Amino acid sequence: MTSDSARFGHRWLPILLVLPLMILILLFFYAPVIQAFYWSFFLEQPFGGGSQFVGFDNFSRVLADPEFWRATWRTLIFMVTASALAVVLPLVLAIAADRQIRLSPVARNVLVWPKGVAGASIGVVFAFIFNPFVGILAPLNNWFPGLWAPGLDGVDAFITLIVAHVWSGIPFNFVILLAGLRAVPHTLYQAAALDGAGPWRRIRDLQLPLIAPQLFLTLVLEFTESITSVFALIDTITKGGPGGATTLLVYKIYADGFRGYDLSGASTQTVMLMIFVVLLAGCQFAFLGRRINYER
Amino acid sequence: MIENARSINIAASVILAIGIVYILGPLYLALTTASHSYQETLQNGLTWLPGDDLADNIRRLWVETRIPQQMANSLIVALGNAALTCVLSFLTAYALVWFRIRWASVVFALILATIMLPLDIRVITTYQVAANILSPVNALLDLTGLNSLISRFFGAPVQLELSILDTHIGLIVPLVAHGTGTFLFRQFFLTLPRDLFKAARMDGAGPLRFIWDILLPLSRTSVAALFVLTFLSGWTQYLWPLVGASTPEMQTAVVGLARLMPDNDGRMPDFPLMMAGAVIVSLIPLLMIALLQRFLVRGLVLTEK
Repeated sequence: MTSDSARFGHRWLPILLVLPLMILILLFFYAPVIQAFYWSFFLEQPFGGGSQFVGFDNFSRVLADPEFWRATWRTLIFMVTASALAVVLPLVLAIAADRQIRLSPVARNVLVWPKGVAGASIGVVFAFIFNPFVGILAPLNNWFPGLWAPGLDGVDAFITLIVAHVWSGIPFNFVILLAGLRAVPHTLYQAAALDGAGPWRRIRDLQLPLIAPQLFLTLVLEFTESITSVFALIDTITKGGPGGATTLLVYKIYADGFRGYDLSGASTQTVMLMIFVVLLAGCQFAFLGRRINYER
Repeated sequence: MIENARSINIAASVILAIGIVYILGPLYLALTTASHSYQETLQNGLTWLPGDDLADNIRRLWVETRIPQQMANSLIVALGNAALTCVLSFLTAYALVWFRIRWASVVFALILATIMLPLDIRVITTYQVAANILSPVNALLDLTGLNSLISRFFGAPVQLELSILDTHIGLIVPLVAHGTGTFLFRQFFLTLPRDLFKAARMDGAGPLRFIWDILLPLSRTSVAALFVLTFLSGWTQYLWPLVGASTPEMQTAVVGLARLMPDNDGRMPDFPLMMAGAVIVSLIPLLMIALLQRFLVRGLVLTEK
């Protein structure tokens, strides 16, 4: 830390400066988090009919519900497949865009565009593009009837969600990974070339190890992002169907809370999802983070 | 450096071309579909060639739906989110970095924790708080026993109520309760030389003069980067505006667009109208990205550090 002489010494002014944001954060972040924990231990009546302490009853009720486990399992599958694709694809694109070729300035511009298109907007577009009757795969159904049926086949619906999610996730991951690649000193490439490493070899032995911090970071953020931002896609493309095949936890919590008026059940699942997300971030930093050398 | 890199350059070009088609393809198809009539889409399905009904579909969107009003809501929410986030997090980071305060690290940790749990996860109880933003005060009164004291003297406990659902403020403030901006400014302030401060003090600048004459001019690009980033985030929000506004008049454009999709009545949805909506609703943020790309990329990279 720097010496205290390089700071103002006011008593009340810093409090005044911090207060507005802190009030908002206490009110709209900490109060809801605390309330979710509170409600998970109470049976809450939907229309303000009072509440009753029930201990861990809500948790045992949720944990005994097979639908909860199915939604959790789907969330995990989506998280792993969608996140992997949403990091690997931008990685390949970033390595390609890092080369001095004619397309790379165009790509660097266009690949950021999805940042301006809401998940729900692109969900509406993909719902049309993958529509089995008028969409891009409709001709396929003329030759092989029923081959593409996202309205009936859960796997097809799942694929649609992943394609849309990866589309939305490209800008952030691409920009971060490209920035990482550009920060690699040019002299390292020259040294590797002198040692006889060709451009393909340099990707594996030089670029990938050196952008490990960025890869790690994008993966951490992408895990949480895939769990939460998928809501807009589900609500516009599949509505959780067919037959609940795309009802992920974040969608189930919304449906239980706002359509089923099961506030205690929804809060209990919220608590478990929050604990999972925090543990996930913690584990990744503890285990993965140690193996990465942050020094350049 | 001269070497034979033809094979990798060809591969890189092909990869970039595929990436560009993946991004632009859906947007292009939305545009071509928006330029056909409902009947044509019903008969021919998806077409790659533009038709001549774009103006008509946009006119229908303007007259038959609430998208225009909802676009105004989106603009208010996006601008409000961007402006409030920039101002509040700038002031907070300023206090944390440039003042001698013991609780700085505690406050920063409290703010940083918000990055871990996005609004979408805690939407159920955030909705409850927004339905009565004084409910934490009530809970505090209950917990401290003040309320039982009050009810003994006045006959009834205090139950304050103030809802911000269905208001623009209500759509904006839960988005502002987020730590990214403070984090971004703090990182930036820490890179500034401390001598700057000493020089300003020597010239007799107080805290306000320091922020106005020195810090703000230096942070212009950081502010612009955060502004673009939070504007886009405000415009593209979905779950919060979906539950935070219950009437079509208060909903944002993205929510209104999703509501154009009929609920499984067996009929083929009016895809040209919806694609016209998707294009129109995305126009302002896409223009912003095209024009202010520099700041957006800077903002994305800054939030990483």
